[in-house]
Amino acid sequence: MSVVDHNAIELSPRISEADVADYVALLKPRVMSLVIFTAMVGLMIAPDHVHPVLAFTSILCIAVGAGASGALNMWYESDIDAKMSRTANRPIPRGRVTRPEALAFGMTLAFFSVMTLGILVNWFAGALLAFTIFFYVVIYTMALKRWTAQNIVIGGAAGALPPVVAWVAATGSLSTEPLLLFLIIFFWTPPHFWALALFRSDDYARAGVPMLPVVAGPDATRLQILLYTGVLVAVAFAPWPLGYFDAVYGLTSLVLGGGMLALAINVYRRREGSQALRATRKLFAFSILYLFALFATLLLEVVAHAVAPSIW
Amino acid sequence: MDDKGKPDGIVLTEAQKKSRRERSIAIALALGVLVVLFFAVTIVKGPAVLVRPM
Repeated sequence: MSVVDHNAIELSPRISEADVADYVALLKPRVMSLVIFTAMVGLMIAPDHVHPVLAFTSILCIAVGAGASGALNMWYESDIDAKMSRTANRPIPRGRVTRPEALAFGMTLAFFSVMTLGILVNWFAGALLAFTIFFYVVIYTMALKRWTAQNIVIGGAAGALPPVVAWVAATGSLSTEPLLLFLIIFFWTPPHFWALALFRSDDYARAGVPMLPVVAGPDATRLQILLYTGVLVAVAFAPWPLGYFDAVYGLTSLVLGGGMLALAINVYRRREGSQALRATRKLFAFSILYLFALFATLLLEVVAHAVAPSIW
Repeated sequence: MDDKGKPDGIVLTEAQKKSRRERSIAIALALGVLVVLFFAVTIVKGPAVLVRPM
């Protein structure tokens, strides 16, 4: 009798039916669009003139790097994604893409984005992009997310780095302005994600993710949202009196910050029923508009400076 | 092919063939973009393309 029964196992290799849309979904296109936008602002406010081809290359590499981070995040978190209604439709839980395929896709994009940015633009920017991907995938996804309720506070650094990478791509060095942009996104992340976590806490609890509302409860989360929003509004306003950004930015930051603070107070005060849910959803939606409008103002200031320098 | 004219081995369905074709085109386009990008940056930078600042 043979030890191995050759007829017992019929090898049937899995033939992928994943189409391009499935791989695009692995890139987290909505997150990527915010990364592209904030990176563009980082690049545009840099004092050095950047050739359009190099500017395009930098933004493309940062976008692809962000996509790689998204794919590697989905590779590692496919077990969690399958348990949450918000993420159950992602390509891996749906069975469209396998985990090894997502890993290979993410690693390939990470490698090419970092090497291309390093070779074509500068190695400081390339190294910073590599660090951003590493921070998001290893520090946030693998280490922090399942371990501590402070996951998105520390992990927020990865989402805050793209404008810094773009500035470094443009200038080859670091300065105060990109660090201010970093701080704005860093302090924006907790109120934004905790607002989401408040109305998705059942999802996170089912998946075993220790988000703040799951671990500390909704009331403690509401207080943290309020405190972080206070810090965010102050940090976002500070560049104007410190002389880094212009008055239009300062006033926009003041008005938008007032709106953000009012909505955070609303979330803190309304704790029961549909009113509480509505307040949380409003803060979540407004926080996206807040960051977009703040960065768009910086972009407009740059354009205005270029078009009519005497007025500004 | 066997004696009856049936193909041996794994036969892809139409859906699998279509998705494979789509993926191949996407990879070709991505490689094309990479080639154009390296060419364009080489032209833009000129001899400075050989300078590699950290």
